[in-house]
Amino acid sequence: MDILIELFAWFADPARWTGGGGVPARMGEHVYYSLLGLLLSAVVAVPLGLFTGHTGRGGFLTTSLANFARALPTIGVLFLIVLAAGIGLVPVLCALVALAVPPILVNTHEGVRGVEPRLRDAAFGMGMRGHQVLLRLELPVAVPLILIGMRTAAVQVVATATIAAYVGVGGLGRYIVDGQARQDLTMMLGGSVLVVLLAVLTTLLFAGLRRLLVAPGLRTGAVAGR
Amino acid sequence: MITFEGAAKLYPDGTVAVDALDLTVETGQTTVFVGPSGSGKTTSLRMINRMVEPTGGAVLIDGQDVRLRDPAALRRSIGYVIQQAGLFPHRTVRDNIATVPLLLGWGRARARARAAELMELVGLEPSQARRYPHQLSGGQQQRVGVARALAADPPILLMDEPFSAVDPVVRASLQDELLRLQEELHKTVVFVTHDIDEAVRLGDRIAVFRPGGRLAQYDSPERLLAAPRDAFVESFVGYDRGVRRLSFFPARELSLREDVVFGDDTAAGAAAASMRGEPWALVVTGDHVPLGWAGAGQLARVPADTALGSLDLAPYGHTFAVDTDSLRAALDAAVLSPAGRAVGVDAAGRVVGVVSQEDLGTALWSVTE
Ligand SMILES: Nc1ncnc2c1ncn2[C@@H]1O[C@H](COP(=O)(O)OP(=O)(O)OP(=O)(O)O)[C@@H](O)[C@H]1O
Ligand SMILES: [Mg+2]
Repeated sequence: MDILIELFAWFADPARWTGGGGVPARMGEHVYYSLLGLLLSAVVAVPLGLFTGHTGRGGFLTTSLANFARALPTIGVLFLIVLAAGIGLVPVLCALVALAVPPILVNTHEGVRGVEPRLRDAAFGMGMRGHQVLLRLELPVAVPLILIGMRTAAVQVVATATIAAYVGVGGLGRYIVDGQARQDLTMMLGGSVLVVLLAVLTTLLFAGLRRLLVAPGLRTGAVAGR
Repeated sequence: MITFEGAAKLYPDGTVAVDALDLTVETGQTTVFVGPSGSGKTTSLRMINRMVEPTGGAVLIDGQDVRLRDPAALRRSIGYVIQQAGLFPHRTVRDNIATVPLLLGWGRARARARAAELMELVGLEPSQARRYPHQLSGGQQQRVGVARALAADPPILLMDEPFSAVDPVVRASLQDELLRLQEELHKTVVFVTHDIDEAVRLGDRIAVFRPGGRLAQYDSPERLLAAPRDAFVESFVGYDRGVRRLSFFPARELSLREDVVFGDDTAAGAAAASMRGEPWALVVTGDHVPLGWAGAGQLARVPADTALGSLDLAPYGHTFAVDTDSLRAALDAAVLSPAGRAVGVDAAGRVVGVVSQEDLGTALWSVTE
């Protein structure tokens, strides 16, 4: 019980809410790195997945690559890049991208591959060209799966962006790293609670995005085309 | 006019899907490709819109080789209906229908107005415009599929087993609808099915394919049923082709007897006296609505002054419409009637007369001449 009271006191401390080390600033940094990492990953993975899914080419290669990347220890990647490129935001983003690309890539690829051949046939048969089939049929039908990939990636990125603290660029990870250094359990716990909170918010955000971006005809568990 | 000139398709795995097909599809008519599974119907159909490229010979539309046309542009000028409709699940009914007009660069408003027109044409409610495909029944989805194919008013319509995934009742109504549409639109329709009944019902001309992608016979439905060219065609059109052929002869030509039809207030004795040996009397209401059959033996047993309407009558089964039905329907009505006689009615369902077995027999005999 004591620890809960201390945690409450930690959050209640007015100093916690102002200045460069305050929760709003740290939270801002954390969200910024996460967003940047996720967007960069999407920019790489979505077009690539659309291409491999649409053409059916390179599918095996991308999935194997993605599986390989998934097995990489993120912190190892971080330190490797720090050794190569020095301290700063770049190694953090690289590590986050390496983490986020695989789920987005695999889901985009599978989402496009999963479009019923019958529908693709109808699209070509009506006189759509390749890019029109991709943009007017395959992409919209793949959106639910792409969003699931993005959500998985986003939650992982939010949790992992704590590593930014190791290379001195802040974020919520600072509370955990500093708390560890000072043997301050309450601070570590406070930081963790904030990260978990952010992860939950991320999940909620994707529930909202799903309502916004998925065509009503694809919701309600209706599988593509039946 | 669509012409297959020795068109062939050989797949790399050695399958001969279509073997040197020579065939001419007339403009404004419905031509049906029929045949067992794997006989190359779909492959031949898809050569027309270049969804399949022939490995030999050519397909011409109005004399021009389709290979000279850009595939996408060609396909936009040809309606294409596939099995189970293949509607886009993420688009509403009206946006599905507007697909080709939008590809052709029409404005959204014009494309949607056109979609509304087509929904009416194929018998869909305007309220269904904003529904999604999964909210429609199979039959409704097929209607949307047909509307989508017709949206840009293409002169040619290709239909690959469009009605095979719906139940027989819905299929029959979709077939009726297609016949009605075709009467209005006069498209050049190429229709694939493996149901010979559907082929006979819809086709002006029928091409029967045999395994190995070869044409077994190309004829009018009447000729196909009357004179199948060989044993394969004969077995494919079915050994009941004789009965089926009766659908081409109108029931109108049957002679109908009125002397065995009696009002329900007629006395049993009077009826028995005027039947002259006929075993059954049909009892009708004052408005000529059929009630049922009374047997001669039954009439002899009851007191002579009994009104026919108060007797326990045998059900009259189902009737045939004298003006619109075929001999096949009349025969069917006779076979299913407990009296072995068919009841002919007019458009309003009023009894016109009864066909006796002898008269039906005479009519059937004259058909086989
Ligand atoms: N891509 C392909 N590669 C190899 N063989 C094929 C291919 N497509 C079709 N075939 C073969 O070509 C033959 C004709 O096929 P097609 O689809 O034209 O038949 P169909 O008459 O439409 O049959 P169904 O009534 O079953 O639809 C079949 O033996 C089929 O297996
Ligand atoms: Mg087929």
